[in-house]
Amino acid sequence: MSNEKTMAVAVAEQLARLRDDYLARLPAELTGLEALASGLSGSEIDRASLDELYQRLHKLAGSGGTFGLAALSVGACSLEQRVKGWLAESLDAVGAQARQTFARDVAALGNTVTEAHATASAILPANAASAPGQCVQVWLVEDDALLGQELVRQLESFNYVVRLFTRIGDAEAAAQTERPDILLMDVMFEQEGENATEVFVLRPNLQALSCPLLFITAQDDFQSRVRASQLGAEGYFLKPLEVPRLVNRMVQIFEKLRAPSQRVLIVDDDADLAEHYRLALLAAGMEAEILQQPAAIMEKIATFRPELVLMDMHMPDFSGPDLAGVIRQHDNWSSLPIVYLSAETDLDRQIEAMNRGADDFLTKPISDAQLVAAVRIRIERARHLDEQINRDSLTGLLKHASIKESAGIEVIRARRIGKPVTLAMLDIDHFKGVNDTYGHAVGDVVISSIAMLLRQRVRQSDIVGRYGGEEFVVVLPECGAEDARLLLDDIRQRFAAVRFSYAQKDFTCTLSAGLACSAQHPDSNGAALLVAADEALYAAKRGGRNQVRGGASDLKGAQP
Amino acid sequence: MSTLQRIMYVEDEPDIQAVAKLALEMVGGFTVKICSSGEEALREAGAFAPDMILLDVMMPGMDGPSTLMALRELPALAELPVAFMTAKVQPAEVAYYKSLGARDVIPKPFDPMTLASQVRAIWEA
Repeated sequence: MSNEKTMAVAVAEQLARLRDDYLARLPAELTGLEALASGLSGSEIDRASLDELYQRLHKLAGSGGTFGLAALSVGACSLEQRVKGWLAESLDAVGAQARQTFARDVAALGNTVTEAHATASAILPANAASAPGQCVQVWLVEDDALLGQELVRQLESFNYVVRLFTRIGDAEAAAQTERPDILLMDVMFEQEGENATEVFVLRPNLQALSCPLLFITAQDDFQSRVRASQLGAEGYFLKPLEVPRLVNRMVQIFEKLRAPSQRVLIVDDDADLAEHYRLALLAAGMEAEILQQPAAIMEKIATFRPELVLMDMHMPDFSGPDLAGVIRQHDNWSSLPIVYLSAETDLDRQIEAMNRGADDFLTKPISDAQLVAAVRIRIERARHLDEQINRDSLTGLLKHASIKESAGIEVIRARRIGKPVTLAMLDIDHFKGVNDTYGHAVGDVVISSIAMLLRQRVRQSDIVGRYGGEEFVVVLPECGAEDARLLLDDIRQRFAAVRFSYAQKDFTCTLSAGLACSAQHPDSNGAALLVAADEALYAAKRGGRNQVRGGASDLKGAQP
Repeated sequence: MSTLQRIMYVEDEPDIQAVAKLALEMVGGFTVKICSSGEEALREAGAFAPDMILLDVMMPGMDGPSTLMALRELPALAELPVAFMTAKVQPAEVAYYKSLGARDVIPKPFDPMTLASQVRAIWEA
């Protein structure tokens, strides 16, 4: 026994040494990759460089994983796939923007390493879920290897990075050095004769993960459910698993975790005090900016898009209510919460100020904690209200009017900054057949899974809406037609891989999509671009469905 | 059946070679021969006389599957147990690799502490 222990220590020491050597060599390798990536020219000349990039990224994905640099491994793997996609086609089609993004992403690989390096010793890396745009790492602990692998496949089509453990002990060992963003655990482990809800507390490494926990089980017994609840589990799913429902819960959990920080605009002529508020709000994890020029308030609001304005009552040139009135003249901002912060204690004057467009009154002096709490709760309520009004209740996506408005805003913005925006319109193929055959409840599952897939696959800055029954719109700012086509085609393939089940029978669905890029329609506004995307969608339907049409590829074969 | 003692590991990435050697020699107590390419494996396999071969799937030059095909051409190795090592393990791929004659597939990245027992389990299966 002690012999085994000594051996384990010796192995761990050796591994640590190998890892240190590896980390020492890594910067040079990353610099080499960066040089290759930034030297791409967008023609067939690149083929040799891309072949080399493909091999080296593949190695990096493998070695990174071996040395516990999960983020590096995942990043390298996704870049490797991108290169693979390019190599399969003509390299003349690889656009400048795609190359630029690629070079930037290659350069960003280094960041994942610095973090891992710094945290490797004692502290585990923070949840990747808190950093937008990163892959979510899921650990699945399931003793049925076949079921486990099938579940891995399904979850991967929703863009989760899944690691399968068939024994609780293996997961616990891994938990010493790594942590997932979410832990999915089977309840009954036949071979080990253990019930996971019972042994979880006996496994300190697993408990220390402090990540969201979901249980999956074939047995619905009350005792296990209670224990799961005591462990703080956020879900308890019965087998046979309905993967879309499981994913739905996972999405909800992550959205709660990664809600963007609250944005507050501070309007106060006392520069020191304004700075003090700003720091207090920053310390609470909010984004806060100070308005320097009162005359520029609407420009500031348009660019910063605050969720609340903290306004001083009395300022030398304009009063708070004057500025509040200006804000309220703009329809877009008629519901932006405005809160006065003032030494004013006269109730009548407070009421008068509120009558002129403000929502609330905070009295100076105010403690930092009070300020933060007051701001936070108001923004939370405003967000909640905004969701009720603008979001579709089934999918949580923007509704028709809101997505249309967003498309319009982004097309204007694209013209201003001189970068393309691409609109995509998607529709589920033969959806009526799904509803007729399996019923509307199953149809809703299909609809919400495409919504989840879209949200998983797009960037934080992209906007997704449910345009109609089974029709969706994605607005992709600063994205050219070719990149959009790759993205949508990837989504199309992933969606086709999702397996739905009804009454023990499995079925799959496909989608068609149409694209329209502002670069190809320089004079179109948002509405016209949506029409163009809809026409491309129609072409995809006519062309046999389960395909993406429009964007660059249509330029050659465009109808007169 | 004889016991599993001699393992040939075919992998082009030096870092993974080092970790695998450690995992198989120190933890598993096996005698390990590392080859950096399929070609090298074909040259060395006869002399080393492994009990089992682990093959990385994606290597420059001869990849894992073509190395397996070539190994099977050698009479002495026609029946030798072989397992693939690969990062992308999906049920369909596992089935495909098995259809080529591999016993099983070990997902990468492997856990150095358990690789030896995984290999032993495949051998005994």
